Amino acid sequence: MPGMLAVLPSATLDGLEGRSIRVEVDVAPGLPGFSIVGLPDAALQEARERVRGAIRNAGFVFPPRRITINLAPAGLRKAGSALDLAMAMGILLGSEQVRVGPAAVALIGELSLGGEVRPVAGTLPMVAALARSGVQRVVLARVAMDEARLVAGIAITGADTLAEACAAVRSGRSRSRPVAKPRVTMAGRASAEDDRSPVGSRTQAAYVTDSVPDLAEVRGQAQARRGLEIAMAGGHGLLMVGPPGVGKTLLARTIPGLLPELDADAALAVSIVASASGEGPIRGLRRIPPFRSPHHTASAASLVGGGPSLTPGEVTRADHGVLFLDELAEFDRDVLEALRQPLEEGRVTIVRAGRSTTFPARFQLVAAMNPCPCGYAGSLPEARCRCSASTIERYDRRVSGPMRDRIDLWVTLPRVAASALVGQREPESSATVAARIAAARARSAARGDGRLNARLRGHRLRAACHLDDATRRHAEELADMVDSSARGTERLLRVARTIADLEGVAVVGHDHLDEAAGYRSTASRSGATLAS
Amino acid sequence: MIGVGTMGPVGSPAAREDFRSSAGDAYAPERDAWAVLASVGGLGPVAFAALLVRFGSGEGVLTAATEPGAVVRLADTPPVERDPGAPMRRPVPAAVARAIAEAAADRGRFLERLRGLAIRVVTAEEPAYPTRLLAIEMPPHVLFVRGPVAALQHDRAAAIVGTRHPTSAGRVCAGRVAAALVAADAAVISGLAYGIDGAAHESTIHAGGATVAVIGGGHDTAVPVGHDLLAQRIVDAGGAVVSESAPDVAPTRGTFPRRNRIISGLADATIVVEAPARSGALITASWALEQGRECFLVPGPIDVPAVAGCLSFLREFHGAARIVAGIPELVADLGWVSASPSATPDRLAGAAIQGLGDAAGRLALLLIGGVTTVDELVATADLAPATVVAALAQLEHRGLAVAHQGRFRPAGALLGERVRPMLR
Repeated sequence: MPGMLAVLPSATLDGLEGRSIRVEVDVAPGLPGFSIVGLPDAALQEARERVRGAIRNAGFVFPPRRITINLAPAGLRKAGSALDLAMAMGILLGSEQVRVGPAAVALIGELSLGGEVRPVAGTLPMVAALARSGVQRVVLARVAMDEARLVAGIAITGADTLAEACAAVRSGRSRSRPVAKPRVTMAGRASAEDDRSPVGSRTQAAYVTDSVPDLAEVRGQAQARRGLEIAMAGGHGLLMVGPPGVGKTLLARTIPGLLPELDADAALAVSIVASASGEGPIRGLRRIPPFRSPHHTASAASLVGGGPSLTPGEVTRADHGVLFLDELAEFDRDVLEALRQPLEEGRVTIVRAGRSTTFPARFQLVAAMNPCPCGYAGSLPEARCRCSASTIERYDRRVSGPMRDRIDLWVTLPRVAASALVGQREPESSATVAARIAAARARSAARGDGRLNARLRGHRLRAACHLDDATRRHAEELADMVDSSARGTERLLRVARTIADLEGVAVVGHDHLDEAAGYRSTASRSGATLAS
Repeated sequence: MIGVGTMGPVGSPAAREDFRSSAGDAYAPERDAWAVLASVGGLGPVAFAALLVRFGSGEGVLTAATEPGAVVRLADTPPVERDPGAPMRRPVPAAVARAIAEAAADRGRFLERLRGLAIRVVTAEEPAYPTRLLAIEMPPHVLFVRGPVAALQHDRAAAIVGTRHPTSAGRVCAGRVAAALVAADAAVISGLAYGIDGAAHESTIHAGGATVAVIGGGHDTAVPVGHDLLAQRIVDAGGAVVSESAPDVAPTRGTFPRRNRIISGLADATIVVEAPARSGALITASWALEQGRECFLVPGPIDVPAVAGCLSFLREFHGAARIVAGIPELVADLGWVSASPSATPDRLAGAAIQGLGDAAGRLALLLIGGVTTVDELVATADLAPATVVAALAQLEHRGLAVAHQGRFRPAGALLGERVRPMLR
């Protein structure tokens, strides 16, 4: 078994980007050994054991030679297990157990000790990077084929095992089929991967109807329902404040059923993030806006992204969708502070050990919190809440100013006795409300460059509102009542613009402004706050 | 009670008359001297008075305090005789004497700071000192005032006090009483605390009246954190925030009951709205009785904890404490028939509702009737939620409604005439 040099294209994931990598395998005479160079991380060092096991158990021979693998470009830090398959194939080629055809074939995949090829996180961006670098064909795990096919201009071949992958790259027929080593197994063959992604095995529509509650299930809370509709129509930040059990979380969970489907560009961006965050193989473009609801114990790194391999965080996974922070006041202050940049700039820059990456984070913020630590302030009977006024105020102030600035709509949900709702009409369904939201979004998109009302600022906002003098004065007066700052006036105008869009009116009028003033912070209201 | 003796406020009445006649700029150094003395920790009213008698004036005290051997001289101040045969102790301990000497040495910086904070000082010797307060036992020698001193000297004044944890009915009630008092041309005195105090101040400002907040610490220490804005609005509306402590004196457990004697002392009558058992508001009510002022309590059901204190006080001081049987009745009991009959609260409410749009007018009536949440308003008025939200914002904008934790209640001119039965 003579030795030679094999060079194969593969790819690794760097943040949200795929990077094409040249895997160079030298099988040389000398003391048997196996080393990997070219800035591999710990998971990559472990690849040696996976590759050794996979080659042996697939029925090949692990060559007793001095094996050196170089990953080029050497300056780029490589992480993860996506290079396993390329390294194993390089050893087989270098030891001439497999002969390769003339075309450039890239390989992406993790190997099991038994020689199975497993899908890896980030298939979509990695295949896209390979296509850009001119590779004509890529071999990867069969379950990841649908995801890889989202990339145009590159042929996709699926392989379940190392042997199948060999067959895919081999020129002509093999002289002898490898015979896999016998094995005992107590785990079923069915892989758990398929069930990991909710979108994976079912259609998107089924996903929405199955796991997203309908607005018709929410009784009462007329103001919050209306606030939610406005927020979704304009992409505004929304905060719901109310005691436990009034329906804040239920309302928020109806959001995926209210938002219109994403356009192709947004859907691709969302799919890439989902792929890179390891949400499992993706079956088709994700048209449903993401809805992320991290728990309030989440760390800053899990929210904005980070970690040794610069993994995207929840804000990035909520890009083009909604980030729902339940129990907002229970989040660590540091964690909420970390949200400032993404809230203000729509992207987040993470610096780790001298590297920096920028991830998109154009999410819509929806949050819910209790009015006080015990949750019962404002509930009847009034003696139920024993929090002092200053305790309630401190609780309220956990939500910092910059965060408040990004929240256009504030809704308070009081506990309402069931008997009070008898006279009310049947609640509307998600479909009815979603139709109105889609119509309003179409109106605001037709007005300008297609940006949502929540992103309107300055002269662009004023132009969109078509205010006459009397209305402008009214807006300023109302803003004085809510909170007198330029930001306060803009917030009011943005919301009023969306309300007018929902009504199908081109000019913002008094009534729209009045209603917009009804959705604002208790805390920023002048003076009266908690005292009276 | 609570560390205040029965000594008169100042030294010789003749000296006071002298200063009154020469009040004005000529008095400024003496006023400053009193302010400096009032800032000395541990210097109580008895010692203050004794020092004035011993050294003739505040300036005299400070001059003595800057001379060599001052501490010994100050500590040697003889007590002022009050009851013959009562035990006589030296009123100025050495530690306090040292503190006076230090304050005297540092007086420039202190006075500069007072001016920087725009705090006015008024002493018990000056004609501007509120006459009602001068009439109580042991009035504070010095008042530190933010806002016009004249606000303390209103012809009619009533205090509204109560719990910091009121029910929303209690808040509405405090607001109505305040609005009625403003209509009767009276100033409203309270303590700037959360709850009833805040509602009383708010409603007075809304109704265009003058209100005075008496705080328990100095002006530069935190009043209730959420009420610093309210304090500013009180001053902006022509009212005043008053303290007997120098700016940097932090409020302590003991200062609030002492402060309460000033609240009742500045008022002709004290009205308690919602006080649970052992409420501080009841201390104010006791002070009012002790000072010979009227004391009114708003009653309530016997099984509501928030009014338990009012009921037991009425029972305990049967004959002295009076009951609020209704807002017109209260105004009549006070003997303050409103000067301009057209401005009574119910007429104001009627006029306010007429000036509103259809939806807002209907909602205003429902709010007065005790409907509080958007859901209930939507169901009762059969209006679209969007219309209800817009109309409520309009009411709030006009000062006719106030929102608290998602519940709305009437405010300003909508506070009708009769005390509405307690809801729930």
